[in-house]
Amino acid sequence: MTEVITKQEREEAFAMFYGMAASIGELADPAPEMTDEERVERAKEVFLKGIDNNVAVQLDACLHCGACAQACQFFIGTEDPKYTPIHKLDLLKKVYKRELSPLSWLLKPFTPDITVEDLRNQVELVYDSCTMCGRCNMVCPSAINIGDLVSLNRSAMAAAGLAPAELRYMRDGQEADGTIFGADEDLFMFRIQDIQQKLGFEIPLNKKGADVLLMTSGLDIHLFADATGGAIETLHHMGVDYTLATDAYEGANFGSLSGYDATKKKLTKHSTEAIEALGVKTVIVPECGHSYPALRFGAAEAMGRPVNFEVMTVSEYFGRAVMDGRLKLEKKSHPKPIALHDPCKVGRWGGVFDEPREILKACGYDLHETESNRQYNFCCGGGAANFLLPSADKLKRVGYRVKMGEIEAAGAEELVVSCGSCRMNFEVGKVKAGDSIPVESLAAIIAAHLPKKETVEGDKV
Amino acid sequence: MTKTDLTLGDRLQARGVSRRAFLKYCATTASLLALPPTMVPHIANALESQRRPSVIWLSFQECTGCSESILRSNTPSIESMIFETISLDYHHTIMAASGHQAEEARKIAMEENWGNYLVIVDGSVPTGNMGYSTTAGESNIDTLKHVAEGAAAIVCMGTCSAFGGIPYANPNPTDAVAVSDVIKDKPIVNVPGCPPIPAVMTSVLAHYLAFGELPELDHLNRPKVFYGQNIHDRCYRRPFYERGQFAESFDDEGAKKGWCLYKLGCKGPTTYNACAVLKWNEGTSFPIEAGHGCLGCSEPNFWDAGSFYNPLSTATHLDAGTVALAGAVGVGVGAAAGAAARSQQKKIKAAPAKAFTPTKAEEESQ
Amino acid sequence: MTLLEFARGPALQWAAVIFVIGMLWRTLGLLLMLRSRPLSKDRKKGLAGAGVKTMFSRFLLPKVFAKRVGFQYLLGWIWHVGFVLTVFFFQVHVMFFKGLVGFGWPALPNSVVLPVAAVSLGILVILLVRRMTNPMLRYISNFNDYSSVIVTILPFATGFATFTHIGVLPYETLLALHFLSVALLLVWFPFSKLFHVITVLPSRYILGVKFWRRGVEA
Ligand code: HEM
Ligand code: SF4
Ligand code: SF4
Ligand code: SF4
Repeated sequence: MTEVITKQEREEAFAMFYGMAASIGELADPAPEMTDEERVERAKEVFLKGIDNNVAVQLDACLHCGACAQACQFFIGTEDPKYTPIHKLDLLKKVYKRELSPLSWLLKPFTPDITVEDLRNQVELVYDSCTMCGRCNMVCPSAINIGDLVSLNRSAMAAAGLAPAELRYMRDGQEADGTIFGADEDLFMFRIQDIQQKLGFEIPLNKKGADVLLMTSGLDIHLFADATGGAIETLHHMGVDYTLATDAYEGANFGSLSGYDATKKKLTKHSTEAIEALGVKTVIVPECGHSYPALRFGAAEAMGRPVNFEVMTVSEYFGRAVMDGRLKLEKKSHPKPIALHDPCKVGRWGGVFDEPREILKACGYDLHETESNRQYNFCCGGGAANFLLPSADKLKRVGYRVKMGEIEAAGAEELVVSCGSCRMNFEVGKVKAGDSIPVESLAAIIAAHLPKKETVEGDKV
Repeated sequence: MTKTDLTLGDRLQARGVSRRAFLKYCATTASLLALPPTMVPHIANALESQRRPSVIWLSFQECTGCSESILRSNTPSIESMIFETISLDYHHTIMAASGHQAEEARKIAMEENWGNYLVIVDGSVPTGNMGYSTTAGESNIDTLKHVAEGAAAIVCMGTCSAFGGIPYANPNPTDAVAVSDVIKDKPIVNVPGCPPIPAVMTSVLAHYLAFGELPELDHLNRPKVFYGQNIHDRCYRRPFYERGQFAESFDDEGAKKGWCLYKLGCKGPTTYNACAVLKWNEGTSFPIEAGHGCLGCSEPNFWDAGSFYNPLSTATHLDAGTVALAGAVGVGVGAAAGAAARSQQKKIKAAPAKAFTPTKAEEESQ
Repeated sequence: MTLLEFARGPALQWAAVIFVIGMLWRTLGLLLMLRSRPLSKDRKKGLAGAGVKTMFSRFLLPKVFAKRVGFQYLLGWIWHVGFVLTVFFFQVHVMFFKGLVGFGWPALPNSVVLPVAAVSLGILVILLVRRMTNPMLRYISNFNDYSSVIVTILPFATGFATFTHIGVLPYETLLALHFLSVALLLVWFPFSKLFHVITVLPSRYILGVKFWRRGVEA
């Protein structure tokens, strides 16, 4: 691997970036002004739009058995009853019962309407104390999709003008220039040129008709250049006809996490149109959890029609390549046991499990699975943009502890992650807890295990 | 000495009943009435020296089964002697006199014993058309009212007089009622059963003769000593019930082995009577012992409490028709609720989205 | 009309009517609601099969959750099995259903059903006490939760009292109370969380499909 960013550079960037991230709440524009009635009305509208037959059946299937609490990192870590996952849907249930349930004729008189107070109290529940990781979905005897319905709650909060300032800032920023943390086209170009210089080959840009489009994210541009660099180096090594695009480099979508559905749709639509204009067959979204579902499952919804390009995440794309022999990695000796974190959005919500494991195997790692793995994986503690919420600091530490507890119990001395925000959260958690376990990007690991060029070129001859 | 003047003692002697047999009867009666043995001499004394109290027996809408049960024991028993002891001044089924003579006898008895005579009633009282049941041109209800006026107490013999019984059963064409529905101001003892057990009847009379008052009664005015426990609790087949061993038909293995008759509709668990203890025909047997479930004849409305052959654990009013009707209504309401929800959903979807009108920040960013 | 006559007759009749209406009302109402369909490509094929699989695989608890939820799952399991055995295979109940539908089926001996019913009753009481004492459960519980468990306990409790004929009340009163408690259960059923009989399996199907679309076995 060619080092595109040194460890020290990364740490400095991280410190700076973290300082910046901590103050974005103050930079945010003031929250939109609305009357209480408007807030309630808007929230209800979002709720009601979101309740279809499937949601109704699920809401009517809850037994209040409390099992979901035992799956949620925030309850496990705090034992605070208010963090019981299903409690986060009580507001939604109320609206459903009153307005849409088949029994609403009966229930309406007994179900008071929601108030703006209810909405305000809901904010902490659906932002700070839920990363929409979906682990609770997996234990629920009724298989209720709590994670997704919390997302609906965030949309309602956002519509009611109650999204946290940090996420409003992120979303306003992306609404304005399409990217996050001010990683505009100039900065993107700067980073690409920097990587290009270090890698020593030209990185194709805006190449129409390429097979593969590689996306990145503001976070990687600022901070985790190793992930972007690793992916580029590997694509180049594999001889893939790939490109990056100045019009579609941002994989992150802060419309989606903040709850601003219109922004989410707009951003996805923008990327999708750019992708279709390029005519690529496959899009690789960066190591950024939510950018995977945002494009993989969101593109068609945003366009209102199916799209005909494949969307894969980094670990998925390269994992498949390893599995079908297109990518040979060099087995090295790794005496330290390693643990793998399945980011919720690409794991439990994306089905990418085998691919990263195959990669680690091919690299010769001794993978120690955490007790909860694959679809039962614990969230890093700061998913769904929670790593940006200072108000959620305590809860993030709690989530981190739960996760790290499992990693320690697995006897791992190194951790590999394929998601920038998970990495962020691990890094911050480590600092706060005084832990020192190295946290690596999977893309960077792949790049570090590329066989020597000569051999490959020899093969080609 | 006229017949009326004889005491029971005299009459027993005349009949050749030994003193020993008489005392045994008194002891039995005492135990039936759950009285302590020390009361036996008192009963014997009282009965021996009692002069025949005047009794007027009124029969209304009845089948004479109750009279038959009591009067026609197959051997002349001491129980039947009790009846000879009383001065049965009027019983139109069995008295020799008839017509105006009979009515005259009743009138005389009433006048002579005003305030002291006992009235025994079998049969229910029709309240519909007065012509449904009359005696000597007088409707039953009128007879009952004015005979009861001078009575010391009324004994309702059998379920018809006690609770309305079979004439009262749905659809009750004569608008029959129980005696207690007509007479409110006299002590009434109900001795229900279709028919009642003779010993129960006589013991009640014996109690009245011996103590001059009625025995302790339950909430349905039945003597507690006889009607205090249900058949089920005293049934010799109860162990089979506990083990869940039930006869499924009247001639299957279970029936032959004497298993519980619950499944064949036995109403023993809800029937309060002394059959399982006293039995019938001088203690020979009782219905369950004969292989048939209890019909619950001593309970109000036994005729209308579902089929005799349906187990107690079944519903009486539930039928496929009702359920089907409910199903149709349910489908209707469900479809309406679903349609309402659908149109609500469509309305929300179609309405211009308030939530997505740009907020201030959104406007600025555009 | 005595209490027993009322219970066996009109009470059960009306309760059954309300039950049938309520169940169909809520079921059909749910069924008729609009459903949104995703447009994106599925990651895996065989969605329906996966949905059905989740319907049944959720009867088992994934091992990772065993420590924290195992006890509760076990109780739930035993309770439901006990419920089915007691309600549908107790001699006297089989007679009830035979009276209703016209045919019966073999029943279990009392020596089996009675302990089973006792255990089921015991579990319900444990679940109720747990709900009242565990801070998390108490926090999320509402009237619906308490009432549903209590309304379910009642037929068991009155059934035992009736069968063993213990207690100060006469048999026919106990039997009447038993019928009345069943009537109450029937009335309460469609409008409370007991309605989960209908929704649990479809709800699992929904998540099974949703996750299999994404390549995940839920
Ligand atoms: C297809 C049939 C059914 C399914 C799949 C089902 C499923 C469940 C599940 C998953 C639970 C949660 C258990 C837990 O706490 O972990 C539950 C609880 C319960 N179910 Fe069912 N159930 C069914 C039928 C019934 C029926 C017919 C009843 C009758 C009354 C019933 C009564 C209850 C009660 C009382 C609880 C306990 C609720 C509590 O803890 O508060 N269930 N059921
Ligand atoms: S685990 Fe499922 S059924 Fe149980 S309380 Fe949570 S959401 Fe409801
Ligand atoms: S989605 Fe994750 S964080 Fe949210 S309630 Fe469920 S388990 Fe907890
Ligand atoms: S035969 Fe009748 S009274 Fe006797 S035990 Fe069975 S149900 Fe009870």
